[in-house]
Formats: sequence, C-alpha cells, structure tokens
Amino acid sequence: MIQLENINLNLPGFNLSNINLHIKPKDFFALIGPTGSGKSLLLETIMGLMTATCGTIRLNGIDITGLPAEKRDIAIVYQDFALFPHLNVRQNIYYGVPYHNISMNEADNRFRILTRTLGLNDIISRTPQKLSGGEKQRVALARALILNPAVLLLDEPLSALDPMFREETRQLLKRVHNDLDMTIIMVSHNFQDVLYLADTGAIIRRGRIIQHGRIDSLFEKPDSIFTAKFVGMKNIFAFDKIEEGIQLKDTDIRLNILQQPEKRHIHAGIRPEEIILSSSKNEFLANQFQGRITRISSRGIYLAVHVESLSAEFEIICPANCRRTMDLRPGNQVFFSIHPATIHTF
Amino acid sequence: MKRPDISTWLLALLSLPLILLLTLPLVQMTFQPSIHMLVETICDREVLAAISRSIATALSASFIAFVFGTPLAYILARKKICGKKIIEGIIDLPIMIPHPVVGIAILSLAGRNHPLGQILSNIGIRIMGTWTGIITVLVFVGLPFYINTVKAGFENVPQSLEKASRSLGAGALTTFLRITFPLSLRHIILGFIMCTARAISEFGAVVIVAYHPMTATVMIYERFTAYGLKYSQPIAVWLIIVSFALFVALRLFSKNLHNYR
Repeated sequence: MIQLENINLNLPGFNLSNINLHIKPKDFFALIGPTGSGKSLLLETIMGLMTATCGTIRLNGIDITGLPAEKRDIAIVYQDFALFPHLNVRQNIYYGVPYHNISMNEADNRFRILTRTLGLNDIISRTPQKLSGGEKQRVALARALILNPAVLLLDEPLSALDPMFREETRQLLKRVHNDLDMTIIMVSHNFQDVLYLADTGAIIRRGRIIQHGRIDSLFEKPDSIFTAKFVGMKNIFAFDKIEEGIQLKDTDIRLNILQQPEKRHIHAGIRPEEIILSSSKNEFLANQFQGRITRISSRGIYLAVHVESLSAEFEIICPANCRRTMDLRPGNQVFFSIHPATIHTF
Repeated sequence: MKRPDISTWLLALLSLPLILLLTLPLVQMTFQPSIHMLVETICDREVLAAISRSIATALSASFIAFVFGTPLAYILARKKICGKKIIEGIIDLPIMIPHPVVGIAILSLAGRNHPLGQILSNIGIRIMGTWTGIITVLVFVGLPFYINTVKAGFENVPQSLEKASRSLGAGALTTFLRITFPLSLRHIILGFIMCTARAISEFGAVVIVAYHPMTATVMIYERFTAYGLKYSQPIAVWLIIVSFALFVALRLFSKNLHNYR
C-alpha cells in the first residue's frame, strides 16, 4: 500500500539515505530507532511536510511524492499531540472536516462514534489546556480518525504519557487498529511498545534502514550488534566455531547450539530473560554453567543479575522474588543454563 | 507573604534612582498646569486638531505596519532565506539612525530631483508638508518595533501546530489564518501598540518632513520656542492623557484574548 523507493533527503548535518520500504495494507508498521536517527523526519517526508531530495512515495500505487501534505490522505498524530489551544475539543476534532469530501451528516456520525469509542463525551467543550495527557492523546487520535485517512502516522504516541495513561493508550491504539483495519505507521524508540502494537517494522540508524521485517524477527533475530543491543539483547559475544557448537571468544564458555551458524556469522547473542538461573545444578539442562554473582540491580518487578563464569559475564533477568527464594547476593555462587534454541548468531 | 530579604532591599534601593528619573519629570509636568489651563488648552481647536492628527497618523502608520509588516515578520520567523540576518539588520536600522536623518533621507528620495520623487509627483503624491509624508516617516520609525514583536509572536507558535493543520487538509494560507494568526494575536496587538507609541512620540523626522500640518509633538516644540514652558506643558499633558487612554484600551483588548502558553 505504501511504498518508499530510494528516498533520500539531504539536510544540513543530516541525511536520509536510500530508504526503501513496502508497507502492506492494514499493517501496523513501526519505525524504530534511537533519538536523532531520522525516524520522525522520515515520517514527515511520508506526510509531505518535508520534501524528499529524490525517490518516490506511492500510496495504493499512486505517486504522491509531489503532493502537498493536505492532499495526501494521510493524517499524523504528533508526540506533543499538537492540539490547537484556541479551539475546544469539538472544534479540534472537526478541524479537518471542511477540507475533505465529508458531508456534515457523515462527520457528525463519525464524531459520535469516535467520542463514544474514545471516551471523549464528557470533555468535548474543554480546551486542550484542561485535558490530561491521555485525554489529549485521544482527542488527537479522534481529530485524525474523523477524516478516515488511508494511512495514520503516529509520532512517538506514548512517550509523552505517564505510565498509567501509557498502558491505557497502548491498548486503545491496538483496539483502533483492529477495529478500523487502518494502515498505521508508528515511530518509537521503545521496543516494548513496538512489540505490543506492531506487526512489522524497520530499524533506522543515522538516516538509514538497517533491518526490517516482522517485529518478532527483529526482536529475536537481529542482524547487527546495534540492532541486537537496541532490542535488548544484552549478552553479545564474538565466537569461534567448534565441532559441537561455538566457543565464546576470550572465554572458556562452549555452547551447544540448535542451528549451525552461517559462515558470515561472527557474533552470538542471548536475551537476558532467556537464561535460566538456579541455585543448584540440574543434570537435564543443556549449556549449564556455574558462576559468581558480581552485581544485582533492580528493574522494578525484575532483577538484572550479573554472573561471571569462565571469563565471561552474563546478564540474567529474573523475577524480583528470586532475590529471596534463591538468596541472590553479590559474591554467591549460582547455576545458569542457556537453551541451545535461544542462542542467536549473526 | 514572605518578608523581603536584605538583597531584595538592596536591589530595590539601586533601582530607585532610575524609577525616580522616569517618573519625577512626568509627574511634575503633568501636575504643574492648572485645571483651568488644561481646559483652555483642550478647547483650542489647533491643539485638538494637532492631537487628533498625531493619533490618526500614528494609527495609520501602525495599520500599514500591520498589513505589510505581518507577512515580513512571518517570513523572518519561519522561513530559511539567504540574507536573513542582513534583512533583520536593515529592519533594526531606524532604531539607530537619528530621526532627523530619517526625515532628510525620505525627503531626498521624494524630492523632484530623484526619479522616485518625479514618479510620485506625476501621480499626485506629495511627501513634503502632507499627511502622507508624516505617515511615511512614522512607518519608517515604528516598523522595527512592530516587526520584532510580531516575529517573536510567530516564533512562539509551535511549528507542530502548523504541521498538524496541514496534515488535516488545510492549505498554507488557511493554516496561517486559522492557527498562526489567532495564536499570535496578542503579539500582533502588542506590536501595534509599540508601533503606535513610537509614532505618537516621533518628533525629529516629522518636523523635517511636515512642520505643517502640525502634529502634537511639533506643536509642543513650537509653543515652547515661541511662548515658553508654560504654554507647551498643557498640550504635552493632553497628549499623554490621550495616548495613555488609547494604550490602556488596547491592552485591555489584548488581555481579553486567551494566553495559550
């Protein structure tokens, strides 16, 4: 449905380079990258608010590269919601109606459905200054959705919300996508949000797409150290191939793996939550090692336990109650095992 | 309420001489003329005409600054154009140039020896000794105050609001009229007030371009040189009163507009 072909955008000090993406209809697509990677700039290029230096953008097969933003049938919801402060909620939601081929009856109908679905009925006369973060987000969504755009762009939709509204809005976005069958492109730097919401995505770094595909594939099978670290794969090691598996470089850790690594693969990555921590040895577990806890840091309901073993240090995520049940303390000896299927090489 | 500490008192003490310098002469001048003299002055048709002329020309100059200065302020606030700093420097020039020089410069441009002066003369526009001349110099001296204030107003409007408006289907002009303009209205009114204030108080440029028809500032000067302090002060007091009333009204109007920030 949305095709980006060889999009380049040159700005002083920053370039978007050779962006090629194909986003299927009704897809929830995530553009993921750290701050300053160019993801919002790419979103504005799709929107038509920035003009690509070269390349083509197609929407349903039609070249929209030269069209101004107001003629693209694409709507955007900004990170700061960009609600018009001099208009109340109703006026904000109706703002775009006169510029689209929507009859007043149809607009009123959509308004009723949206305000009911998004829970805005009690606040339609308020000005944006009197709304909470979650309410602002819902008004911004309603303002975009009343136009029934072909594509909805979301620029960091959850980053400005506090944790309570964040979860609520995440579920709302999921529901909106499911109910409306709309193509959504979301920019985010938070992989947790992306995992929950998106079907497919691309990782962008310094203005270049470095990996794209299904979200679970990006999460489980990163193809570079940058992507691996970005998706939370903490335990990354260079390795040498040995007969029965791999040996992590500069360590004595030898691992059995499920699939033999390809010739070009030089790194192995293991997600910290995939390593199983235990206080005693279990004969039936593969790749089991004994190690010494070097430090423990709290991550709310989880613990990040750093364990040193055979000259390698691993980060292991376990539930917070493990500190009590397993008597986890720095300096204590523990066992940990790595299932062969969870070792990813790239 | 918390009692001011010693540093606050010290800062207040240091500020006092300046406050006295600003207020004492004005208070002295305002309360020196008797009520009888003030009434007599305002009943003088020439005085009334001069004050009205000052207000009318100043408001006309501000209106011209509004019509032509608003797009320029928007360009300077939003667009990346080459030579922007030079344009901003040119706009600030009238603040630095001695105002009689402004009058002389405009007269030399509008004189019969200059091609532009000839064109203006041919189409019946005269600068020397006319309202047109007065308004022209007032626009010249008031424009920097209008442009700089309104430019700051446009810069205060988040660009994401304009982008959101465009994404919702509004064109560039509609976005300006529905979003940028209403959100900058306070600054536009403030710029209008600043420009009008500067124009009402202008003397140096006006006296070169148009001694007659006489504005209030020229009349104050004329009465001072011809009859002395006693006859010029009541006109100055009336000019202050009328200007004060005008600015309070404009301020009240702008206060009624919401502050969205």
